[in-house]
Amino acid sequence: MLHLDHLYRVAFHLVKEPDQAQDLVQETYTRALSSYEQFATGTHLKAWLAKILHNLFFDHYREAKRWLSVEENKVDEGWDYRENIPRENRGPESDILNKELSNKITDAIKKLPEEFRMPIILVDVGDFSYAEAAEILSCPLGTVRSRLFRGRQLLRERLKDYAEAKSKQRK
Amino acid sequence: MKCEEAGELVTALVDNQLSALERAAIEAHLKNCSSCELVYRQQLALKSEIRRAVADLKAPVTLRKKILNDRRIRPRQPVVENRPAWRVIFSLRSALAVALLVVLALPVLYVMKTDREPVSVSALEIHQRIVRGEVSVIKAGSAEELKDSLYRSVAGSFAPMTYDLSKIHLKPVAGTVQEVNGRKLLVTIYAGAGATVTCYTFLGMEADAPPTADRFYDTNKKINFYAYSHDGINAVMHREGNLICILASTMPTSELLALARFTT
Repeated sequence: MLHLDHLYRVAFHLVKEPDQAQDLVQETYTRALSSYEQFATGTHLKAWLAKILHNLFFDHYREAKRWLSVEENKVDEGWDYRENIPRENRGPESDILNKELSNKITDAIKKLPEEFRMPIILVDVGDFSYAEAAEILSCPLGTVRSRLFRGRQLLRERLKDYAEAKSKQRK
Repeated sequence: MKCEEAGELVTALVDNQLSALERAAIEAHLKNCSSCELVYRQQLALKSEIRRAVADLKAPVTLRKKILNDRRIRPRQPVVENRPAWRVIFSLRSALAVALLVVLALPVLYVMKTDREPVSVSALEIHQRIVRGEVSVIKAGSAEELKDSLYRSVAGSFAPMTYDLSKIHLKPVAGTVQEVNGRKLLVTIYAGAGATVTCYTFLGMEADAPPTADRFYDTNKKINFYAYSHDGINAVMHREGNLICILASTMPTSELLALARFTT
């Protein structure tokens, strides 16, 4: 099934629970197949599916408030969270830490304010180009770029808190 | 350029989404601004970590089944019409002709498929085995020694293609020779900050690209680049003379494509 994994990754980071991600993707394929005549030749199929998914999320899941609440955080420049995180797979302990880091990254993305979360999910998780992300979000390309910058800074700030807590635990 | 203006360009540089003019401007700024250069490295690392975090996330099998069994998306039943007997016979003849064609063509397609697909797709499977540490590798003191060692392992018939990936903090650390369907693949393994990239060189042609690969034509270099993915590993393939080169990694396709285009 074309692009299923990509769409699931995007949905997984949009909604609160994995079950909801499955429902969202299933609904996306249903809508896509029932309105395939609207698919314009030359359009990237993955981007078209993602736009349907985004619209569904916006219309239903967002209204139902089935996503995590967000907290604003200030951005602290000049700190590299990687300094405290093991880099390579070097054994079971490292695997556990990497898995923990993956979960933290997913959680941190889910907790970003929506305007910053969507570009990060589309570009970093979904591997869409800026032009495709702009089309999916129905916003100018420059907006995608500026929100990505701000969103990544926020994300880095939140992962910094995690890395510092881990560092304190080790001491 | 002021640092306030550089932030968004840094982000777009990380994603390889800049025009040539913008790229030149931000790269010039980064050479003279350590704080923006730090932001660039941080964003690059963050993107790499996100990619790594989501690489193993796949749609559950149950979801696939649910979609396929969804009554709403089952194809509509064809409308049955009363057709004259001669049309039915004609349809039967057409069906038989198609069936015959399929029977005749299948072996040919199978030979083409077995000859074409495995090498480029196998490269990605080899990549996964290398990352898991399941492949014995040749380690060398320098890139030149490694290249020489791989070159000698195929009796000097061809040399591995090499890339300068130092800009993204990757260097050649090891190599290996793999054989797929009787064809020798020279593999150079690049490792460093946040990623592993494997580079495959072998004798071949552009038909070795998977049929489903996306093709990108570089008008300056006049080279076709083929991008494809398998099991979360992305790859970009191109041909130089009678040699095929494949770059494989969990890095986004856009980044791999940029690497292949700007370092060849």
